[in-house]
This record gives sequence, C-alpha cells and structure tokens, in this order.
Amino acid sequence: MAGMERLRRELRGSVIALGMVAVTTVVVYALTQSLEVRRGSVLYLLPVLLAGWHLGLIPALVAAVAGVLWSGYFFFSPYYSFYLSRPNEILNLLLFMVVAVVTSHLANSMKQQTELAKKREKEVGNLYAFSRRLAAASSAADIYRAIEEHLASLVQRKVVLFGAAADGQAKPEQAAFSQRLHGAIADVQAGRTLATTVDDGAGDIWLIRRVSQKNADFGVIAIDLGSVPPDAIEEVRERVDDVLSDAAATLERLDVARALNEAKMRSETELLREALIGSVSHELRTPLASILGAATVLSKSDAIAKDERLTSLAGVVRDEADRLNNEIQNLLDATRISREQIRPRQEWIEPQDIVNAALERRRRRLSAHHVSLDMEINLPFIYVDPVLVEQAFGQVVDNAAKYSPPGSPITVAAKRNGHDLVLSVRDRGLGLTAQENAQIGERFFRGARHAAATSGSGLGLWIAKAFVSANGGKLEAASAGAGLGTTVSIHLPFATPANQPEVGPDE
Amino acid sequence: MSEENPVVLVVDDEVQIRRFLRAGLELDGFSVQDAETGADALRWATIKPPDLVILDLGLPDMDGSEVLERLRAWSSVPLIVLSVRSNEAEKVRLLESGADDYVVKPFGMAELLARAHAAMRRHVRASSGEPVVKVGPLAIDLAARIVTINGARVMLTPKEYRLLQLLAQHAGNVVTHQFLLKEVWGSPHLHDTHYLRIFVRKLRQKIETDPTQPRILLTELGVGYRLVAPEPATAAAG
Repeated sequence: MAGMERLRRELRGSVIALGMVAVTTVVVYALTQSLEVRRGSVLYLLPVLLAGWHLGLIPALVAAVAGVLWSGYFFFSPYYSFYLSRPNEILNLLLFMVVAVVTSHLANSMKQQTELAKKREKEVGNLYAFSRRLAAASSAADIYRAIEEHLASLVQRKVVLFGAAADGQAKPEQAAFSQRLHGAIADVQAGRTLATTVDDGAGDIWLIRRVSQKNADFGVIAIDLGSVPPDAIEEVRERVDDVLSDAAATLERLDVARALNEAKMRSETELLREALIGSVSHELRTPLASILGAATVLSKSDAIAKDERLTSLAGVVRDEADRLNNEIQNLLDATRISREQIRPRQEWIEPQDIVNAALERRRRRLSAHHVSLDMEINLPFIYVDPVLVEQAFGQVVDNAAKYSPPGSPITVAAKRNGHDLVLSVRDRGLGLTAQENAQIGERFFRGARHAAATSGSGLGLWIAKAFVSANGGKLEAASAGAGLGTTVSIHLPFATPANQPEVGPDE
Repeated sequence: MSEENPVVLVVDDEVQIRRFLRAGLELDGFSVQDAETGADALRWATIKPPDLVILDLGLPDMDGSEVLERLRAWSSVPLIVLSVRSNEAEKVRLLESGADDYVVKPFGMAELLARAHAAMRRHVRASSGEPVVKVGPLAIDLAARIVTINGARVMLTPKEYRLLQLLAQHAGNVVTHQFLLKEVWGSPHLHDTHYLRIFVRKLRQKIETDPTQPRILLTELGVGYRLVAPEPATAAAG
C-alpha cells in the first residue's frame, strides 16, 4: 500500500520535473534563436534545483538526465541530436546528478528540521496548556480530567483514565465497557498486573496500564488502539509505552502527585465542614420550628388567651425562638460568605418591594418602635438579587431596632441619589463614635457600648456588607456621635433610564 | 360531629412538629391524620381522601417533591409545603409542580392557617363558580370582568385585567412569576420578569391606596406575587 503510494508520488514528481525541463527547453530554444547563446546548458540546472528542492531525489535525477540530454541537443555537436559524446557532456551529466542529490538531500533535511521544530513547538504549547490547567484545577477530578486530555492528545487515540482508588465515581464512558475490559482494569488497578491488552469484543484492542509504572497515584489508563492485527500489537504498544513514559516523567516533574493529594484532602475537609454545617442547621432548627410553632398554638388556646401574662409569656417563647433562628441563619450566611458561595440571582425589581418585604418579615421585632416610611414614588427598577438585598437591608433594620430605645422613631427611606438608589435606616439610638464607625462592618466587631446594651454576634452588618457588595453596591454608616443615633445606608447602582427594562406588550 | 370536620393529612417525620401541628389544626376545627413517611402519606391519601395536605419536604423514605408529584397525578387536593429558608428556586419548582403555597420553617400557626384556608377556598371557588373575589375595598367580578374599588369602577388594560384575574383566582396564595408570564404573555416570555414588575407597578397605582406600601398586591421576593386573602365573608361559601 505505502509502496504504491510512494511510486505514484515519485511518478507525479517526475512528470512535473519533465514539464519544467520542457519549459526550460522552450526558453533555451528562444535564446539560441535570438541571441546566438552558446553556453546555455547551465540553464538546465534550474529545473534540477527546483525539482530537488520541492519534489525529492528521483524527480531531480529525472530532471538532471533530461536536462543533460536536451543541452546536448542544443549546445554540443553533433547539434540537434541526443547523442552524448563529448567529455563536457559527461561532466555536465555528473554535475547535474550531484546537484540533484545534494539539493534534494538539503531540502529533505530542512523539511525534517522544520517539522521537528513545529512538533516541538506544539508539544511545548500542549505542555504549557496542561501545566496551566493543573495549576487551575481545584479538585482531584479536575486534575484527572486534565491528565486524561493531555494523554489523549499525546497518544492521538481515545483514552479513558481511571483515577487512583479514591476516585470511585463511574464515568459515562465506563458504562459502555465490556465485562472483559472491566476485569482487566480492575486487575491493573489492584496491581495484579502492570499492563495488558484486551479485545473489547467490538473489534478494538485496548491497552490497559498504569499511567506511570512507578507511581500508582496517577491512575490507570485504557487506550483504544483500534483494530490492530495481532502481530502489530507489540509494535503499537511499544510506541504508546514510549509516549506514556515521557508523559509520566512530565507528571512527576510537575509534582502532580502532590497536587492530587492536596486536592483530595481539601475536598475531604470541605465535606466534613459541609456535613457539620448541614447537621447544625438541621439539628438546631428542627426543634426551633417546634418551639416557635408550639408557642403560637399556645398563645391562641382559650386557656392562655384569657390571661394576659400567659399570652405575653407565649410571646417571649416565640420571640426568643425567632431570635435564635436569626442567629443560626447569620452563622450559616457567614459560612456561605467565607466560602465564597454567594451567587446573586439578579432580576429587575421594584426597590420598594425589598423594603416592604424586610419590614413585613420583622413586624413583630419592630412593634416597639415607631417606624416611618419615606419612599420616593416611581423609583427606577434595580437589577439585583432581591433576596440578598432584602436580607442585607433586614440586618440594618434589625440593628436599628436593637440599638435604639423602645418607643423611639426609626425612619426608613428609599430615594434616588444621582446614579444610586439609596435605602437608608435612621434611628435615634446609641450612635457611633468616629472610631466605632471606622470598624463597623468588620466581622465580629461590636463596640463596647453596643455589647453592653444588648447581645449579638457582630455578624449582622458584616453579612449585610457582603450581600450588598455581591450586588455591586456599598454600605455606609453615619452618626453625629455617641448617643446621637445612626443612619446606615445601602447604595445600589441603578442603570440609567435608557437601561431600564423594556415594557412588555399590553395588547 | 367530627365526621363533618375537614380532614387534614400532615406529612412530617418530626414527631414534635406533628404534635404542634395537630394541636393547632384541631383547635382550628380540622380533623388530623398523621403520616411519617411518603409511602404512608400516599396510602392515607387514598384510604381517607383529605381536604388539605401539609407536606414537609425532608422525609425519610422519599423526597417531598416526589410525594407531591405522585399525589398530583390523581388528586387536586389543596396542598401546603413546609419549606426551608433561602431556597427560592426550590419553592418555585414545588409551586410549579402543583403545591398551592408554602410556609418557611420556622413558622407561626396563624401563617400556616391563612395559607391553608386560602388554598381550600380557591378549590371551593373553582368548583362552586363563586364569581366575585373581594379583597378589602377591591372587588373583582370574574364573571362580568369588572373591577371596582369601594364600588367605583377601575379601568384596566386587557393585560392588567388578566394579571389581576389570575391573582384573584389564587387569592391568598402565591402565584409564581413563570405562571403569570406564561398565562399573560406566553411561553417565550417565561424569563421576562421585568414585564411583570412594570405591569404590577401600573396595577398598584390603580388599586392600592398607597402604591409604595401595597396592602393588596404583595410581592414574594424571588418567587412571585400574592393577592392578600379575601375576607372570610366572601369565602364562607365553603
């Protein structure tokens, strides 16, 4: 097959070479006719050089022989005959043949070097891309995926990588594997054999081996060798082995094993933490739901509703359960923030809806204060995560209620200020000193005066700040000083009027 | 006597939650049937068809949403889901698969009862054909397609009316953005929440005393809208 292909290529080259000689001949004929040129035989070197450079040795030799014959025809006696008789002509023939050999050889090695350089450049590029992917990988699964793709590009065949023992998840490709293949993979994974080839029953031969014979951490790889005749398996296998041993050395060099172990450890810590938070959340909140629910049932029962003192006690149970629930929610939110798990789901929203929802949710907590509302009508819509902003605003409202005396006024406003929407809460409470204001919103910060006034975790404003900035806004506090009340405002950018949402069709 | 009390099926695996729900619901005149598991719930729903289902999502044997789906395959019983906070996407999904409303744990009994009664009234209204929904000064005559405030006619555009009509049909219960968008503007506009924001603003200017502090058409952030529950007088038909 390959021989035929080669013959055809050489034949085509030779035909082209002869064509070039023919063109040269036309030129030479024209020259001899018009200019009486007598030493034009050197022109026949041109097709030899060109053929040698572009077409290879055989076409170049064909061009050399044809060129010498034609130059004999034109320039050497007996003129107009192909008969080679003079030593000059023999010398020419030798010279042309040498030129043909040297040119084609030079061209050949040039081409080889160019190809090698290109290949090396591609390899370096691949390696660079691979190492960048490794650096960016955040989990063992990511790293294995990077290795798998890297090996696939090296081997140029379909490969499936099975991570080291810990990586238990089944891959979609795996499901399609035959029983025999699974058996072989299990054998290699367990270390019973280092490498093996298996016929998958569908006509393809698979090579199964560890990625690195030295380091089991890199996992086991199955490579689809395709439909290889039995006598050629050994050869293909050796070629793949060569590529893989290079690849394994690369993995060692890039310290992939350490990265893998670290990723695995990280995900275990993560899992533990998640489990802990999940169980705390569930274990604390389920009883809270019963306590709060039971308190509301009690307060409505005839026996208790008759007695004002008992009703207020039921109210205490409810309020305290509510407060505890709030603190748990704060802890959960704080964990979400530290783990950078805040992903705003932005949508267009009426600013007043956020304010109203936050106040409605806190109606009981605010019942001791005089809350007045100052909302501009027809405020532009804002594009934020309404739930996050409501929670942030709620924290601010909670703080106002906590740090100002019962019966005092709280003013809630929603206004436009330049390109910002400003949601603000003003109280007549403890206020802030300049130093307290500088620290407000830091995690766990509570001013000494505030800590003395009431309990709290110091998380509220920190959470509010994080939620607001996740929506592209900022939170600010202002106070004339200790005892002079506080105004906390949330600034959210709204788009210019041109960027307001499009009105839906009304017909 | 108890034969005439509406039956509520309470599906929750936490015994303390079941206890307070039973007390609160019985005080309100319900006859309570407990179920601890999803399988239990589905069995009771066939043996003793309830008038109301209260369904917790975290069940030991199957996901609450699966119970909901299997129940909805043959029953349209009013159903309230007990949900956890800060998962708006889940609430929307449950409402889309047939829950009438949800309350977020921890919740007060009054809140749960308000949602439950609204859902039950809607089912009665749907079967009895009661045409007028009254909410405070607002009256929506679904048969004559007339909206009045304190007796004075309010002029609405066709889309504004359609929006109000859908909310009135579910009065007292939340209606998701997606449902409203699909019904009013059609499926291609399922995600154009801003259409709703703009039309609700216009609608509030026509039906609310103070549009900045709505008392009738309420927003459920991240989920949808709720027309407040109609007066018991209108719903006493049930």
